[in-house]
Amino acid sequence: MLASKSKVTNSWLKSEKKSLFRFLTLYVAMVIFMITLLSLFYYQSQEKLMLSDQRAMLTNYAYIQTKKLKVLHHFFDESIEYPRDSRFKSAIYDMEDVQIFSLLEDENIHFHEEIYISKSYIHLVKTLDEYYLGTKYLIIEVEDSGAWRGIIWKNIIGYGSISFLFFLLFGLYLAKLFLKPMRDSILLLDRFIKDTTHELNTPLSAILANVEMMDTDVMVEKNRTKLKRINIAAKTVSVLYKDLTYLTLEQEKTNDDEVIDIRELIYDRSEYFSILAQSKHLECNLDLEESSITIDRRKFTRVIDNLISNAIKYNKRHGTVGIELKQGKLVISDTGIGMNEDTIPFVFDRYTRFNNAEGGFGVGLSIVKNIVDEYYISIEVESKEGEGTRMVLRW
Amino acid sequence: MVKPIVWAVLLVFVTSTHLYAEDVYECNCVECHRELPTSLQRMFMRYLLVYGGEKNLKAGLKHYLKYPLREISVMSELFLDNYAIKKKTTLTNEEIDEALDIYWEKFKVIGRLK
Repeated sequence: MLASKSKVTNSWLKSEKKSLFRFLTLYVAMVIFMITLLSLFYYQSQEKLMLSDQRAMLTNYAYIQTKKLKVLHHFFDESIEYPRDSRFKSAIYDMEDVQIFSLLEDENIHFHEEIYISKSYIHLVKTLDEYYLGTKYLIIEVEDSGAWRGIIWKNIIGYGSISFLFFLLFGLYLAKLFLKPMRDSILLLDRFIKDTTHELNTPLSAILANVEMMDTDVMVEKNRTKLKRINIAAKTVSVLYKDLTYLTLEQEKTNDDEVIDIRELIYDRSEYFSILAQSKHLECNLDLEESSITIDRRKFTRVIDNLISNAIKYNKRHGTVGIELKQGKLVISDTGIGMNEDTIPFVFDRYTRFNNAEGGFGVGLSIVKNIVDEYYISIEVESKEGEGTRMVLRW
Repeated sequence: MVKPIVWAVLLVFVTSTHLYAEDVYECNCVECHRELPTSLQRMFMRYLLVYGGEKNLKAGLKHYLKYPLREISVMSELFLDNYAIKKKTTLTNEEIDEALDIYWEKFKVIGRLK
């Protein structure tokens, strides 16, 4: 569906895709966060469940061990052998947390927790009421097989993946649903612009063709001037039209690269714009050496047209437009208003205009930049406010 | 003449060394408890049962030595009926501390279990 749309629609749909992507990224991050949180709660609750199962057994062991400690306490002068049990390991600590004796594998004791897992062992901390052998804390240790953990992980990964997929699909559906009105508006706008642009072509071509065909020799001076103005206005609109057409219709076309004689093209385009230059009494200095480039003619014409058109538009009356062509280098300069140094980095941004005195949408240099970037041609802007601007292309 | 003098010197030396060797615990605790039927070891275990840790035991025992009371004694009623409670100690704080340190080291459970 997207392939059938024009480039501008595609670019808008790209922004739709971008919005969709951003929404989904945020949504997925949130879903992952939620699933992780739920998994954490589930893990903790299962761990607690397992520990509560173990607690009864360990408390029983603690009871048995306490009884043995009691006997040992009362017969300490006869026996000093710490009571051992094959089912568990134990340790005793006094009220100052000083170890009295220990058989534990893991000596990391959390005195303020009743039951916990440390490394791969489960510890039960039993506080004695009577301090046999000075024991306040009796620690019972059993090995944690970890089987419960495997089951929990299996559940978390299984159910987590299913939930994630479900939420992902749901999010995708939701995003499409929310973006549909925006998408419809974009398509409508796109259709409107395309139709309008197309409809402009016929009258504009008719105006330009008829202006060219008119015999100015038989005209009185007054009418000749009027015709010139019509020609200038039509050509200005034509450049704008071509830019818009390029953006909306032609940009998507595949490149038809060919070797172009740049000098010839510049002569041709200078001739086309000469009437505009004359209207501002501009002097055109052409210093053109033989040079060629392999590029799509349509695109390179857009570059030359926009640069020359800008050099004329933003020039002073009685100023100069310089076009210098050397092998691998093209410089188009003017003696116009120039630009502030701070604004130069933004000169290629679409819809950016630093001077509202002249017409245009601020798409010209954006098109130039796209094309030169596509063909790996470097473009430099040298400008001084009040002195003029030089656009230097190197390839 | 020389022989009796040598013996006399030797006797004085041995007696003085023996007297000097007896610490505050031996002199002031062991002596009295010798008369009682319950050994100091058993009493220690009673204290341990009640007080738990080293610092607590020493503090409790010190307090009892300074202010002996039937109510705070760890001994059984029968024992107290027969032998009554001890008299208030005349030892200084430093001497009590020293005696208690020795007592603890002598009978402590830590490090003795196997």
